[in-house]
Amino acid sequence: MAASDSDDSLYPIAVLIDELRNEDVQLRLNSIKKLSTIALALGVERTRSELIPFLTDTIYDEDEVLLALAEQLGNFTPLVGGQEHVHCLLPPLESLATVEETVVRDKAVESLRKIAADHSTADLEAHFVPLVKRLASGDWFTSRTSACGLFSVPYPRVSSQVKAELRTHFRNLCGDDTPMVRRAAAGKMGEFAKVLELEYLKSDLIPLWTNLASDEQDSVRLLAVEACVSIASILPREDLESLVMPTLKNAAEDKSWRVRYMVADKFTELQVAVGPEITKSDLAPAFQGLLKDCEAEVRAAAANKVKEFCENLPADVRETTIMTNILPCVKWSFFLQELVTDANQHVKSALASVIMGLSPILGKDNTVEHLLPLFLIMLKDECPEVRLNIISNLDCVNRVIGITQLSQSLLPAIVELAEDTKWRVRLAIIEYMPLLAGQLGQDFFDEKLNNLCMAWLVDHVYAIREAATNNLKKLVEKFGSEWATSKIVPKVVAMAQDPNYLHRMTTLFCVNVLAEVCGVEVTVSVFLPVVLKLASDAVPNVRFNVAKTLQKIGGLFDAETVNSQLKPCLDKLKTDQDFDVKYYASEAILVLTEAA
Amino acid sequence: MSAATGPVTDKIDPFSKKQSVKKPKQKRSQASSRYKAKGGTELVPLPQLKDAPPAEQHELFIKKLQQCSVVFDFMDSVSDLKGKEIKRASLNELVDYITAGRGVLTEQVYPEVVKMIASNIFRTLPPSENTEFDPEEDDPTLEASWPHLQIVYEFFLRFLESPDFQPSIAKKYIDQKFVLQLLELFDSEDPRERDFLKTVLHRIYGKFLGLRAFIRKQINHIFLKFIYETEHFNGVGELLEILGSIINGFALPLKAEHKQFLIKVLIPLHKAKSLSLYHAQSAFFTQLAYCVVQFLEKDATLTEPVVRGLLKFWPKTCSQKEVMFLGEIEEILDVIEPSQFVRIQEPLFKQISKCVSSPHFQVAERALYFWNNEYVMSLIEENSNVIMPIMFPNLYRISKEHWNQTIVALVYNVLKTFMEMNSKLFDELTANYKAERQKERKKEKEREELWKKLDGLEINATVNNKEVKSVPPTSTNTPVAGGSPAVGTRYAPYSPTAHRLMAK
Repeated sequence: MAASDSDDSLYPIAVLIDELRNEDVQLRLNSIKKLSTIALALGVERTRSELIPFLTDTIYDEDEVLLALAEQLGNFTPLVGGQEHVHCLLPPLESLATVEETVVRDKAVESLRKIAADHSTADLEAHFVPLVKRLASGDWFTSRTSACGLFSVPYPRVSSQVKAELRTHFRNLCGDDTPMVRRAAAGKMGEFAKVLELEYLKSDLIPLWTNLASDEQDSVRLLAVEACVSIASILPREDLESLVMPTLKNAAEDKSWRVRYMVADKFTELQVAVGPEITKSDLAPAFQGLLKDCEAEVRAAAANKVKEFCENLPADVRETTIMTNILPCVKWSFFLQELVTDANQHVKSALASVIMGLSPILGKDNTVEHLLPLFLIMLKDECPEVRLNIISNLDCVNRVIGITQLSQSLLPAIVELAEDTKWRVRLAIIEYMPLLAGQLGQDFFDEKLNNLCMAWLVDHVYAIREAATNNLKKLVEKFGSEWATSKIVPKVVAMAQDPNYLHRMTTLFCVNVLAEVCGVEVTVSVFLPVVLKLASDAVPNVRFNVAKTLQKIGGLFDAETVNSQLKPCLDKLKTDQDFDVKYYASEAILVLTEAA
Repeated sequence: MSAATGPVTDKIDPFSKKQSVKKPKQKRSQASSRYKAKGGTELVPLPQLKDAPPAEQHELFIKKLQQCSVVFDFMDSVSDLKGKEIKRASLNELVDYITAGRGVLTEQVYPEVVKMIASNIFRTLPPSENTEFDPEEDDPTLEASWPHLQIVYEFFLRFLESPDFQPSIAKKYIDQKFVLQLLELFDSEDPRERDFLKTVLHRIYGKFLGLRAFIRKQINHIFLKFIYETEHFNGVGELLEILGSIINGFALPLKAEHKQFLIKVLIPLHKAKSLSLYHAQSAFFTQLAYCVVQFLEKDATLTEPVVRGLLKFWPKTCSQKEVMFLGEIEEILDVIEPSQFVRIQEPLFKQISKCVSSPHFQVAERALYFWNNEYVMSLIEENSNVIMPIMFPNLYRISKEHWNQTIVALVYNVLKTFMEMNSKLFDELTANYKAERQKERKKEKEREELWKKLDGLEINATVNNKEVKSVPPTSTNTPVAGGSPAVGTRYAPYSPTAHRLMAK
């Protein structure tokens, strides 16, 4: 305290407040962002008595500044003197919670929730709850929307009488005339449900929730679906059937696709919340409906959940449910794709990203009989993303049935992706190569895929060439250096003769990554001569990459090789005409000398 | 190897492939999202209305209305062609019938008419196919069922405009719920549909007095949702157009509700991001500016909050939008009363001064054009002692610095008018220019110093904080916050540092 008193004359509040009032928004913003510093300079007492009132009075600034202010105030409890004084922060935050701009309001609410925890129970009832009530009965919708987010935090800590008042206010907000407020209430209903006593949850909140779930605006209804997850997870199982399920079933068949989408999107969470019995009796058929929905958006959202839904099914009914409810849909929604449009690509690729996950659940026989045909068709899909999603999940299937059943179909799919016109697709398939190589085995790889891997080295997009070199490294790690010497190295070395300098550089890049995995012997006997020869290349880019390569692989060699072969070469490059070559050469010499 | 990877040397240019990557443009059309539409009803052709004996016409009319309530799937262009044709013909016949016939709108007809219209036009709009819709590049997605929908709307309009039409009967069927669904359709991507909706809603507003307040309130909600929640609604321009004429008809003095609409809805609407996307800026911004000016013409005292509102939402980065704002400001200045001008001149001209010196020449040019406006000029002249000192520094600076010669020429003209307006003040401003700049720089330096000191304080605080890690962070994580004297002494070394810093 002594510190702050003696600072009075040194930090006249007028100067600081001048900063907060500066004409330039940017400067004002900077000052607000350092509000804690200002408060620190003023000391707790003057922050309370002068700064906070000033801030409360002058809230009509740019939203940007207000946002920063709202955020700062959330961390202000210590700066105003801790718990016993924290309520002095409520007035400015209350004003901020009523402004027009959503982000400012949200931030103010966030800060209010934060400082609510710093309030003593008495202060909560004396200061915080009245604020919530004021906001909840404000004239303009902004204060009422903000209020919705402020119920769940104080509720558990106040007396039962105050609790009853809070419930009444929340009820009013749920029936508000303005859809914005109803949306806010629906959005916060889940968290409020979690802190509510079970009896009030059933008597108060459930009817409100049912109303919101049948609101005239679909934007309100879909938020009620979200709340359903929390509500269902709190209610005892025996009440679910009567209190929740009718509403949830309606939502799954809502006339607005947005609501159905939300159900699909939250499906597995809902499934966990309602438990296995209801899943079996009610949710499985509803899920089937969503998979067959007329809107692609809904089908895609549902397709995304197929695997997780099946995994969550209770073991005893899992197989039958999948076979009778899910698979026919998967097939159905899938075959439809063959007929139609663009938008449905998303459905297909969503499905492709999860469908492989079904095979561990269904086991070997079912996979072979039911899933395999689907995989095979998807592998031939016109959309590369679909094929890619299948290939990227091969390991799930491999564990169950082995990959041989698929390999004949895989190959064309891989080849086609490898030559796709979009380089991002090519990049994606390269990244799966090491995985595929492992699954398919060395023989299959040598016969069918090796050529592809080499072809990528001369792709016209740098990112692909780069990925291809890294891919080689991973392959060598997998198949060993002996395999590398016979299958890879000759081709890499041959590229050093290529008329295109980009390919000659690729040789160098390959050496960079392969030297270590191939071992010193191969490097000294095969790679080094090639690299040294490229030092006299006509293209400077090749020459300075020689310097970079030598720097990189230098550590592998003994001192004698370094001195007799690397150094002379680098010394020569150091006297090159080209500036960059000289630079990288001296750089390499430096590193090699240091290492020695 | 293969074609794609083979002769790489001639394919180094990655852009050669771009054409094949971009999908060919196609006209899109979209079906509405009809969940579980009933199918399988086969239409049976009915006799023509004009061929039926007068006694049976009425009954046949109702039958045709019921027939036209059946909805077809237009995404499947080959399904049920016969049914579609029957419905199309019936709809056309219905249009002719209520246009030409007199006394055909009996009381029993109303519910059937409204039911037919509702079952056709009310539907959930499908998900938008292009979320990043750019009106300059993309064609709007058109409604697939338009061949029927168009005639239904046509019929709806003729129904509302028929001399026999009785709002007192219709209001039982065209109620709040109906209007709410109608308003939701304004989000349709199909401009043809929005155009019909505009006229329809306008007629309903005109004929159903009991629905007016409700319609205004719901439009409010749509706008607020657009501004603060979704930033997406296709029909904002159309709704503003209707509002333009509604505002025109407001009685004086304006009700508080209407003023609130202006300040809390129309002004914030200026900040919508997509404002700049609506190309030609006509659809949206012109309408918006028109509405605002309408208000000001009715009640001049609203000028100050409006201008302050616009200044609050002034675009920071979008130059195109800034040009539109300047346009709106000039429209406001055109109708401003001198007494109101005085109230806003300071903040307004501070902004204009910034625009004039914008590096974007279109913004600068638009702002400088204000000086071609005679009325604006007269206002500036009357208040030259306030405006000149605000404008002068920036004008003087860019007259030497701006990269665009047109701007420099325009700036010289403005400076010349200032000189003619008030040569004494002009000379003073020129003489003081340098001194003022120096003063500013000094102030700038002082501020830097201040913050450096304050920062030093904070650094000290954190250092001290680290030294006393054992103190629970929740209660005293900032030094000066110490409630207990013990904590206060712990931070004692902290104030001398501050002294030392300040003493320098």
